[in-house]
Amino acid sequence: MMELQSALGMVFDWQVLLVVLAASVFGLFIGAIPGLTATTATALLVPLTFFMDPLPAIGAIVSATAMAIVAGDIPGALLRIPGTPASAAYTDEAYLMGRQGHIGQALGINLLCSVLGGVIGVAILAFFAPLVADFAIQFTSDEYFWLALLGLSCAVLVSGADPLKGAISMLLGLLISMVGLSSASGQMRFTFGIPELLNGISILPVLIGLFAIAELLRRLPEVGKLSMPTPPPVQKPFAGVAGITWRYKGGVARSGVLGTLIGALPGAGADIASWISYALARKVSKTPEKFGTGHPEGLVSASSANNAALSGAYIPALVFGIPGDTITAIIIGVLMMKGITPGPDVFTTDTVLVYAIFIIFLLANLLLLPLGLLAVRSARHILAVPSAVLYPLILLFCIVGAYANNNSMLDVAIMLILGLVAYVLAENRFPIGPMILAVILGPIIESNFLRSMIKANGDLTMLLDRPIAIGLGTLALLAWLSILLSSCWSIRRASHVARSSSP
Amino acid sequence: MRINDLVFGVLMVLLGTVTVWASRDFPSMPRQEYGAGTFPTLIGLLLVLFGVVLALRGWQRREALFHWQSAIPVSHVLLCIAALVAATLGYILLTPVLGFPLMSVAMLTAMIGWLSGGRWRLATSTALIATLLIWLTFVELLRVPLSLGFLEEVIYG
Repeated sequence: MMELQSALGMVFDWQVLLVVLAASVFGLFIGAIPGLTATTATALLVPLTFFMDPLPAIGAIVSATAMAIVAGDIPGALLRIPGTPASAAYTDEAYLMGRQGHIGQALGINLLCSVLGGVIGVAILAFFAPLVADFAIQFTSDEYFWLALLGLSCAVLVSGADPLKGAISMLLGLLISMVGLSSASGQMRFTFGIPELLNGISILPVLIGLFAIAELLRRLPEVGKLSMPTPPPVQKPFAGVAGITWRYKGGVARSGVLGTLIGALPGAGADIASWISYALARKVSKTPEKFGTGHPEGLVSASSANNAALSGAYIPALVFGIPGDTITAIIIGVLMMKGITPGPDVFTTDTVLVYAIFIIFLLANLLLLPLGLLAVRSARHILAVPSAVLYPLILLFCIVGAYANNNSMLDVAIMLILGLVAYVLAENRFPIGPMILAVILGPIIESNFLRSMIKANGDLTMLLDRPIAIGLGTLALLAWLSILLSSCWSIRRASHVARSSSP
Repeated sequence: MRINDLVFGVLMVLLGTVTVWASRDFPSMPRQEYGAGTFPTLIGLLLVLFGVVLALRGWQRREALFHWQSAIPVSHVLLCIAALVAATLGYILLTPVLGFPLMSVAMLTAMIGWLSGGRWRLATSTALIATLLIWLTFVELLRVPLSLGFLEEVIYG
């Protein structure tokens, strides 16, 4: 009880609250602008969180992402352009509801169900994370090695239709993480004679490059070429929303739980959770024929699921230090910069911080309601901000943000190079998620492997000596085998396609 | 721009080979074969393997090596990329000389003015306000030493 009180004391500090509020408004703005995602919002926030204590830093990221996912629903419903990929599953449904004169209702459902889904996710997180941590406390470097490897392979498998490109993107990320002094032997690796690279490539310029600069490169050519339609006015955002949500309360509960579980899987995040929940809602619905015509049932399920997934992703991140998606990868990066390595020990040694993080989660999700309403009301003004003004500002912010971490121009150059690489790769359908996960997981995998080898005197079979390690190892090896097989299979498929298309 | 997978595959094979070659001398830990070179070598080998698969697949599809499919003309896209690169490189090279305030105002004014199709008054005012805000946030609040360049001598000299 004492711990809960001190945690409340930590959270209800005016500086922390101010940070949470400001980050929410920032997330709201970025999420509502089509093309800028919750991950972009996080990447832009990270330079500032670098200067904060751990709690406000996490609070800022949590509230900005939750708000960005909700705000992403707004351009989806108004203009049929999803603000973030997590809203894409139900953009058509919400837009069609708007066409039938229920725009306020559609956005109200988005908002209310996001809050409900988010709260369900937080409840599951707060309940399960300590239990899993109790279990994880017996893990040794063997289990962590397999777990991190499993996380990496799942990230590749769920990253898109082409696991081969996901695997290559992951390998490039691992390569980035190898630069600098080796943690085990102090060997200099790939530093090209640049002393600043001895500590490795810092995570900040990598993040900003991959998620903000690459996005700018994609969006910049559209300025002035693609005109944004004027959004219709929103009337009565909450009329009838409570009734509809109550009618589909089963859907909210189901999607909240499902979304949290999907979020907890490595690699799968809010976007996948909302697609799957939408599909499941259609399958179990009494009126599946109404889906896709402006029917609120799918909307209820999918908007609950994507916010629940955000909380779910923190279960593996907080308990094992293994990120479940790009956003938690960023959070782990931020915590490591502050000298905190997330893991089961944190639950026993720093219970107050863990409680405080849970409270921040709840607070961020409850803040969605008033701020979301504000966002719906001000949507027309946010969407009217000219991108010709916005994008140069984001660029300057990226540059200063990348510089601020180490006061180093080299970081700015790294940001630019990786931004260009990520842009070219993404244009050619290489997923970028596995790359950032690999940058974070690479050192974890390597140091745990080498630690195990020191213990086992170089005997590889010792990695599979303990029961949990065998289970995790089998899963990881199966996942890697399926990546290899599906890559080789894709050659055969390509030759079939080529043969059938040529005369 | 769509680049054939063959090109990417070959690039990955090259990158993997260089990685394996560069990791050949990394020492292993005492009394065992694993060490600083294990992971870089493994990553390099996997890059070669996946690169070969990607290249074979791209070759079998028999598509053009490069092709353009966007609605926006290629020259405009390249111009935008060049502008972003030039702005960032310009910042890296010129900020130590000109100082952050001048560089930031110049860069923002030029980019906003260009992108908005010549609304220079909007561009200049946004640039001035944004530069001031960033200066206050990063230098005054967060104590990041953004360079003043030659202004330092003008102000303090």
